[in-house]
Amino acid sequence: MATPNALLVIIRHAPHGSNWLREGLDAALVAAAFGQPVHLLFMGQGILALMKEQSSGAPGQKATLPTIDMLEMYDIDKLWVAEEALQAFHIPSDRLVDGVTVIPEREIPNLFQQHANILNF
Amino acid sequence: MQYGLLVMGAPYSSPAPHSALRFAHAVLSRGHQLAGVFFYHDGVHNASSLMAPPQDELNLHNAWLELNQQHATPLDVCIAAALRRGLMNESEAQRHGKQTYNVFSPFELTGLGQLHALQQRADRLITFA
Amino acid sequence: MQQAIGEQDSVLLIEEAVTAALDPTWVAWQHYQSRIFMLAEDLTSRGLTSMAAMHQLPTIEMDDFVSLTEQHLKTVTWY
Repeated sequence: MATPNALLVIIRHAPHGSNWLREGLDAALVAAAFGQPVHLLFMGQGILALMKEQSSGAPGQKATLPTIDMLEMYDIDKLWVAEEALQAFHIPSDRLVDGVTVIPEREIPNLFQQHANILNF
Repeated sequence: MQYGLLVMGAPYSSPAPHSALRFAHAVLSRGHQLAGVFFYHDGVHNASSLMAPPQDELNLHNAWLELNQQHATPLDVCIAAALRRGLMNESEAQRHGKQTYNVFSPFELTGLGQLHALQQRADRLITFA
Repeated sequence: MQQAIGEQDSVLLIEEAVTAALDPTWVAWQHYQSRIFMLAEDLTSRGLTSMAAMHQLPTIEMDDFVSLTEQHLKTVTWY
């Protein structure tokens, strides 16, 4: 599932509440641009970054969706979300962007095991 | 072993810089090397030479400088995160038409690629946020 | 955090997380027994050392923190 030097970036913060999401995604994109295999795991409020109906809200707010859409161009094609997180937030999986893989929460320790490098945002 | 530190908390807002510094000294006293410290997110504020805490509080900027002076630890600051938050060195100030700047060597403004390079180079990367 | 902890992992509570010293009934104490710790100096600065001792909860020093990172290949920080 993961190559030896793969990077797992964990996103735990929602869009617009802070700059954690933007700077976490930037870290993922830069690693991918340098040729490192990068996988994303969305946990807790971080799953809100995947809502497909997001668009720019108040003037001056930068939308997150274009960055999410950009991930595929950088060969970041693993976007994991725990089923339990979706349930906790009452989000049906069809409201998320395409390409999300829903996994059972008990798989998460394995993901951590399989990645040599982890960054938690 | 080679250790890298990632600092993402702001001085005097978050305990992260304090914890990171104490950890850094403990790492060194156990005979390890510090391959570098990378400042990201609000951690970039650690690089501000203009912080002026009251005399009875540790000046975190100076504490990082001392770490660099004593152990030649590289202090890398994410340039995108820094510029957003109003931290820049002389050349960035010129580029952006600013009259002043607050980041000096040994703090270096650099790209996020340096964070990934540090993570690959170091045996351990420890985050303080 | 807890859904990410594997069977080989250790847990170190630092900074504000040491307020866990006040609750000996927290499930994690039992669940991660002998691999969950609190950082002594963060307990001291918050006046929680004697509470931790009273509840017989495990504390370690900064030097042991480094030692834990030596023993484990990876460290993930939750904040």
